[in-house]
Amino acid sequence: MKSSENREFARQARREGVMGPVLQILHIWQRRAPLLTAGALLSLLAVLIGLVLMREAGMRVAAMTLGVIVVTTGALRIFGGARVILRYTERLVTHDAMFRALADVRVWFFRNLARGAAAGLGFRRAGDLLSRLVSDVETLDGLYLRIIIPLLGACLVLPFLFIAINMVDTVLAVVVAGLFACGAFVLPLIAAMMGRREGGLVNHASAQLRIGVLDMVGGLREIATFGAEGRMLAHVRDRDDALYRAQMKQARMLAMAGAASYLCGQAAVVAVLAAALGLGLPRIAPLPAAAVLFLTVAAFETVGGLTRAGALAGSITRAAARVVAVGEMPEHAPPEGTEPAPAGTDIRFEHVSFRWSADRAPVLDDLNLDIPAGQRIAVLGPSGAGKSTLAALLLKAVAPQAGRITLGGRDIATIRDDDLRGRIAWLSQATHLFADTIRANLLLGRPDATEADLWTALEQARVADVVRDLPDGLDSWLGEGGTSLSGGQGRRLALARVLLSRAPILILDEPATGLDARTEQEFLQTLNDVTQGRTVILIAHRLTGVEKLDKVWRISDGKMVSARS
Amino acid sequence: MNDDKTVMKAWTKAQSRLGRRQAMPVVLLGLALAATAVGQAWCIASVLAGVLAPGGEPAVTWALAGLVGLAIVRAVLQMGSDILAARAGMKARARLRGGVLDAILRGGPGLLRRHHTGELAALAVDRIEALDGFFARWLPASVLWVAAPLVIGVLAALVQPGSALIMAICGIAVPFGQAVFGIGAAVASRNQFLAMTRLQARFLDRVRGIATIVLSGRTEDETRRLAAAAEELRVRTMKVLRVAFLSSASIDCAMVVALVLVALRNGAQLMALHDQGVPAAIMAAHVARGLFVVLLVPEFFAPFRSLALAYQDRAHASGAAAAMRILPDATAVRAAGQAACDTGQGVSVAFEHVGFTWDPARGVTLDDVSFTAPAGQTLVLWGPSGSGKSTIIEMLLGFIQPESGRITINGVDMATIEPAAMVAMTSWIGQKPVLFAGTLRENILFACPDATDDQLQAAIRAAAADGFIASLPQGLETRIGEGGFGLSGGQAQRVAVARAFLKDAPLLLLDEPTSHLDPQAEAGVFASLRALAANRTVILASHSAAAEGFGGHRVDLDHGRIVTSGEKAS
Repeated sequence: MKSSENREFARQARREGVMGPVLQILHIWQRRAPLLTAGALLSLLAVLIGLVLMREAGMRVAAMTLGVIVVTTGALRIFGGARVILRYTERLVTHDAMFRALADVRVWFFRNLARGAAAGLGFRRAGDLLSRLVSDVETLDGLYLRIIIPLLGACLVLPFLFIAINMVDTVLAVVVAGLFACGAFVLPLIAAMMGRREGGLVNHASAQLRIGVLDMVGGLREIATFGAEGRMLAHVRDRDDALYRAQMKQARMLAMAGAASYLCGQAAVVAVLAAALGLGLPRIAPLPAAAVLFLTVAAFETVGGLTRAGALAGSITRAAARVVAVGEMPEHAPPEGTEPAPAGTDIRFEHVSFRWSADRAPVLDDLNLDIPAGQRIAVLGPSGAGKSTLAALLLKAVAPQAGRITLGGRDIATIRDDDLRGRIAWLSQATHLFADTIRANLLLGRPDATEADLWTALEQARVADVVRDLPDGLDSWLGEGGTSLSGGQGRRLALARVLLSRAPILILDEPATGLDARTEQEFLQTLNDVTQGRTVILIAHRLTGVEKLDKVWRISDGKMVSARS
Repeated sequence: MNDDKTVMKAWTKAQSRLGRRQAMPVVLLGLALAATAVGQAWCIASVLAGVLAPGGEPAVTWALAGLVGLAIVRAVLQMGSDILAARAGMKARARLRGGVLDAILRGGPGLLRRHHTGELAALAVDRIEALDGFFARWLPASVLWVAAPLVIGVLAALVQPGSALIMAICGIAVPFGQAVFGIGAAVASRNQFLAMTRLQARFLDRVRGIATIVLSGRTEDETRRLAAAAEELRVRTMKVLRVAFLSSASIDCAMVVALVLVALRNGAQLMALHDQGVPAAIMAAHVARGLFVVLLVPEFFAPFRSLALAYQDRAHASGAAAAMRILPDATAVRAAGQAACDTGQGVSVAFEHVGFTWDPARGVTLDDVSFTAPAGQTLVLWGPSGSGKSTIIEMLLGFIQPESGRITINGVDMATIEPAAMVAMTSWIGQKPVLFAGTLRENILFACPDATDDQLQAAIRAAAADGFIASLPQGLETRIGEGGFGLSGGQAQRVAVARAFLKDAPLLLLDEPTSHLDPQAEAGVFASLRALAANRTVILASHSAAAEGFGGHRVDLDHGRIVTSGEKAS
């Protein structure tokens, strides 16, 4: 079990690469290059001033013991003040640059997700995957602030340190610079290599815990009826413990990395002191010794966090890889069309075949279907029969592997995506109500709708009374920190949004889910009235009997079979 | 709102008390680290003094050796402190998560009526993970920022009381100055944190609903709005950071001032001694002392910085406290019955004038409902959904209690029966069974983990699940649930039937078991259910035509009242 898991991580690591995704993220940040560079330069300047300040301070203190003043109080005051101000400015600028760059990543991410992947994903429930991606975007701030900036700083400090000490003694310069390179580059690299695996184990354990908890919460009914509380709790606790074990391993590694990096710095201090005493190293004069000592301490301070950052670099690069992967076009993404949607709304499926993946049975197999404009049809079939795939194909969320679909006689592959989707309104279980005002949620259906239009749609969806009773009416906030609607009310609000749109074609994918029987019947009767003249495609696993339909189809073995007319 | 704040404050206080005990070792190690740092400063000062004012070199070599030793000690202590801090965080998280999981199980299915599974899972996983810093970093830092400088200050005072005083004054100036300029308050401002959380939630929300946005043809609009929101997030975060950085800059300032004052004071003293021409040995001692206090200054201020860094960990705690209020109280456990109930001769169920209301605004759910289900027979609750069928099943499962009237099992009031006995005598199949992440075998064995393989196979055959299991890539070992193979609705329901066979309880509750199936699958599942029903007391809630074949006594419900009740011809 253990070795297979490790193999899996190794495979994942190879697949994701290390530098590729990071370079791509840097590419997205290109627009912010001036600001990011300015931040880096300021940071370098702050580091340099810090080094000079410490060197001068050391000189001054040492010299005073000899009864001389080599550095004036004024110079110290200037360096000291400059350092505090520079440090403050540097942190402000780098963080500001970072947040601008992260905002760019968010926008890039959202646009790419929308471009194809999202539509396909929306048909399968992927909320958790998406939330993980969102936290991945936030992880990326460490790339610039905790890795790139300190690394650049280390690259500058190394030659400065060497040159400054070389003026005193070459052997000592080589020893201290070597130790510095070790603390700034070698140790972080080792930590990064080791941390990649540990971080992977932590990620895996926390995903397992999440699945365990989701199972427990979702299965509360089963657990209660089988009296399995104790077993389930033990099961989740096991996973919780596994997470702590993985985190403990990581914490131990981080602690060791921190200690190793600290010892590097201390070794350099001891080397400088030994040189001052002439023990094992060529003896150096007292005054420069003090200067070099302070300089060394300050130099190692700038790279103190790098080893830890290295140990965490694995999770940053992994996050970068996942974020970048969103930019890759999904397997079934249809090509972006260029032509406007035609006036006609006759829909035709011609010999359409589709399968989600090559090793799975085809969902639709040489399917033919005619839906003339204004016709009201139902598509029935068990779950997994391909009813929702039909909607996905029509909305160009996925493209068929064979055959074509036409709207008003034009192949939808050639129609502009937004034009096509402007013609079709879609309501399904995956339809999302946003954490926003009710008004904003409704306006998504038709941005230019008037207040009266909104209320009409709410009346039609039989949810107007509920909204009227809310303290802020249409401006009530939904979701976290706002009004929470019941499942059925939410469904009806989503329906109101669909009814509001002027789209001539309505796809209703199990629209009555979450409504009680009476409301369901009323709702379906309303649907009969308010959708006059529009094409209605009702997707359901069974009919209640009140739907007014022109035709009923059943999907069977990937083909359409007429159920009754 | 005020009530909110007091509850949160009380929670944070209680957690701090619990967490401090675990943070004690970290604090003690932190003090040991401070003491080690003092030792290191002494060694470095001695060596430098020996070099600058030659006079006692043999001792200086010892000091260098001491420095090496202390560096190793400090590295080890630091490692121990890091690991202990991580452990304290873990222990606290394990304790809190255990509490949340307990509360969720105690709340039972009723919780799902009010809260989404995702919300509850996020509370048990992410919210608790985010609390790590509070216990691992904030709590130790909140003690150490007073204690560690105190230790260093006292040790410095033994050598140079004047310099120690300078450090103390500059140190006190830090919190004092921050209070005067309102830095701490501004950083911790709840409004800013709320706004930031809201904006982050907005991004997550839009990403989750991206299909809806794309399919409404509103991608460009939303992208623009998202960019604006991200910009606002940046502006707000920067507002907080500007002040937060000011706080660390003020610590830097205090340190620089202390450093310069201590250095100048010592410098002046040494210059004076130099001019007097004191002997080398005395000079060396003075130099060592001076360097020692100078080197102590950064160590004196280090705990202040740790505290500033840990400040945001504190903010997470109040957020988690607010989120945890949705869970039921530990004290809200209802009194459980003690009575035993003999089920050797089967189970008969009787409702006696039972009434119940979910929500007064929507009218009564059950109104004076009375019926009897004799042992070994089937009772069909017939009626549209919303007529009260499910409420009756929920009562029998013990998730809710009648508001008036009572339910008896074999003549014993259900409220007095031991809950475990009720669980043991009842099997339940709902609309959609939950399949857990794991193998198919584990999922069926969930009903009875101790079942033998023969019993398992018998249950699978009886549920007519053997056909589809044989067709799966790895048979019973196929992984299903999250991240595994997806079963169709009919197959999932057969797994549920197999579970019920395995449990072999005398009372079987069926709540619209086929409402999510197409007619073909429905017929198949009903055939298996009929086999399961033999010799058991069955209460079936349904309004499907296929349920007609189930036979038995039929009770028609409408609006929570019994309309007709009679024998069904079948």
